[in-house]
Amino acid sequence: MLRYKRYMISFFLLLLLSMSHSAFAQPDARSIIQSSIDYYRDKSSYSVAEMVIHRPDWERTMKMKVWTQGVDKSLVRIIAPKKDIGNGTLVLGDDMWSYTPKINRVIKLPSSMSHQGWMGSDFSNNDVAKADDLVDKFTHTLVDTQKHEGMDLYIIESVPHEDAPVVWGKEIIKVREDLLMIEQEFYDQDNQLVKKLTSSDIKLMSGKLTVSTQRMQKADKPKEWTEFRLFEAEYAVTVPKNMFTLSNLRNPRR
Amino acid sequence: MGTTFRLAWRNIWRHPRRTILTIIAIGFGCALLVFSIGLQLGQYDLMIANSVKIFEGLVQVQKKGYLEDSKIRTSIPGVQKLADKIRTETGLTDVSARANGFALVSSETRTYGTMIIGVDPQYEDKVSIIPGLVKEGRYLSALDAQELVIGKSLAKNMKISLGDDVTIMGNGRDGSIAATILPVVGIFESGTKDLDRNVIEIPLGTFQDVFSMGDHGHSIVLYHRDANLVNRIQQNAQSLINDKEDLVVLRWDQLQPGLKEAIELDYSSGWFMYIVLVAIIVFSIMNTFLMSVMERTREFGILLALGYKAFNIGKLVMLEATLLTIVAVLIGTAIGVGVNYYFYVYGLTLTGMEEIANMYNMPSTITPQISFNSVFIGPAIIFIATIISALYPAMRIRLLEPVEAMRKI
Repeated sequence: MLRYKRYMISFFLLLLLSMSHSAFAQPDARSIIQSSIDYYRDKSSYSVAEMVIHRPDWERTMKMKVWTQGVDKSLVRIIAPKKDIGNGTLVLGDDMWSYTPKINRVIKLPSSMSHQGWMGSDFSNNDVAKADDLVDKFTHTLVDTQKHEGMDLYIIESVPHEDAPVVWGKEIIKVREDLLMIEQEFYDQDNQLVKKLTSSDIKLMSGKLTVSTQRMQKADKPKEWTEFRLFEAEYAVTVPKNMFTLSNLRNPRR
Repeated sequence: MGTTFRLAWRNIWRHPRRTILTIIAIGFGCALLVFSIGLQLGQYDLMIANSVKIFEGLVQVQKKGYLEDSKIRTSIPGVQKLADKIRTETGLTDVSARANGFALVSSETRTYGTMIIGVDPQYEDKVSIIPGLVKEGRYLSALDAQELVIGKSLAKNMKISLGDDVTIMGNGRDGSIAATILPVVGIFESGTKDLDRNVIEIPLGTFQDVFSMGDHGHSIVLYHRDANLVNRIQQNAQSLINDKEDLVVLRWDQLQPGLKEAIELDYSSGWFMYIVLVAIIVFSIMNTFLMSVMERTREFGILLALGYKAFNIGKLVMLEATLLTIVAVLIGTAIGVGVNYYFYVYGLTLTGMEEIANMYNMPSTITPQISFNSVFIGPAIIFIATIISALYPAMRIRLLEPVEAMRKI
């Protein structure tokens, strides 16, 4: 009887050990992604940027101010061109609102529209609103380690959980040792590349190493892309309490 | 040949009653085929005419590439001027310009993504039935009117009724934010789910203004009641835009490939019925021919004994069959065409169809198609099939032994 008990204990110990082992392998890639997003979003931020939508026969540039807090709050305000001044987008968690001064109305974007381009760009509304989904709704595996400008570059494959409301089959994310996200590839359910987000122009902004240009490129349209370029960025700024509210979205002077 | 021909003609009328019965059988089958093929093709014409009149038109002028990838920038400059040009120079009256866009539309409580169609209120009713299907309120009044009409299901989903404001927000042609607020003046019900659930129509001028289109549009829609004229209309329109290389003229079967497939599917199932019909006719004819050969075994035996070649007797029998078939097919076709012509002039109304047709603003009578195909396909098949069926009796003659054959009664 005693011997039987001893066997049981050692069996449980083994079981625990094997579980902790797999649990140890998982969070590694996951924590890289988590830290990378935390680094990118910081506690809060204020930035001035432009978005260039490029098409074979035309190009359009919009300038904007962006405030963020944590991973789930952001406010974007268009400051140029003249025609679009004052237009704004507010993101709170999974919800997204759009404001247009022309008609002085706020519209909540329905979830059915989440794959439409944001303001006519190649970034979808989802790309803008749901950055934090990546941590919670995917299983991450470190598949390779390469080099990027002398630093380690972690290649991570992220597969969405079975029940996650995600359209992608998988994502391949390349994060540098210093937590900068260098590349993000989106694959469909058949493992075909759909679009790719690449980072460039890495430089110091307000004392912090920042990716200042991000380009979204759809795989089937090589001549079309959207670039998001940061001019200035400040981190851990104090954001007024009412910044991320609908009434503030409605106030185009902000 | 002269003798063989006369001999064949006389042989046919040796049994007048049997010959007449055979003629009636073939003739009736022929008339039936001509009538039902004519009716079937006529029904397709009606189907095409009705479907294209809902929204898409018989023919559309678009910028090259717009059909595959409908982008707001893939547009036609000076769209109304071009529509006017087509209207005056081709003499076609049913021509209208449109612009299409995608936008977020919201009521007080709900937001949806839908199609916004900019239409010319003066001409839209000539190319689409939607203006005639406004069940509440009225249709758009003028090119620059600040108003919209909306599909019934969409209105229900958005919880709006006549007079309510709808906010429209999308991207203009120049990439800028396009936004406006328009009141609902009409609610239409076309019976086509996609349209009732996904479409808002606004005046073309208003569309061009809101979506920064200038004088651009996305399509010029042409309609004609007779779908058979589609190629001529396409060529007409094509000749007017030849100076603009980047424009294309698309036919209904390119605009609505699903409709073409449905017709093709129905057509092939119709053929099954015709094949059965033809088979029945063919067997009855084969019986007649076989009988006429068998009962003349003695006669053929004597002919063979006299040195007449089996091949020549076969030829004689074939000629009899051919003459008989020609007479029958001519009579049958004439009757079939006569019946079709009657319905072509007076129309064929199916019971119960009138109500449904009225509800959806469509004609309620079917007119059979009278064309080369509808008149000659059926008779040609019957003719070929009967000749083939006469081959077997004719071939049997080769098997006859003169002595043995002469002893038969």
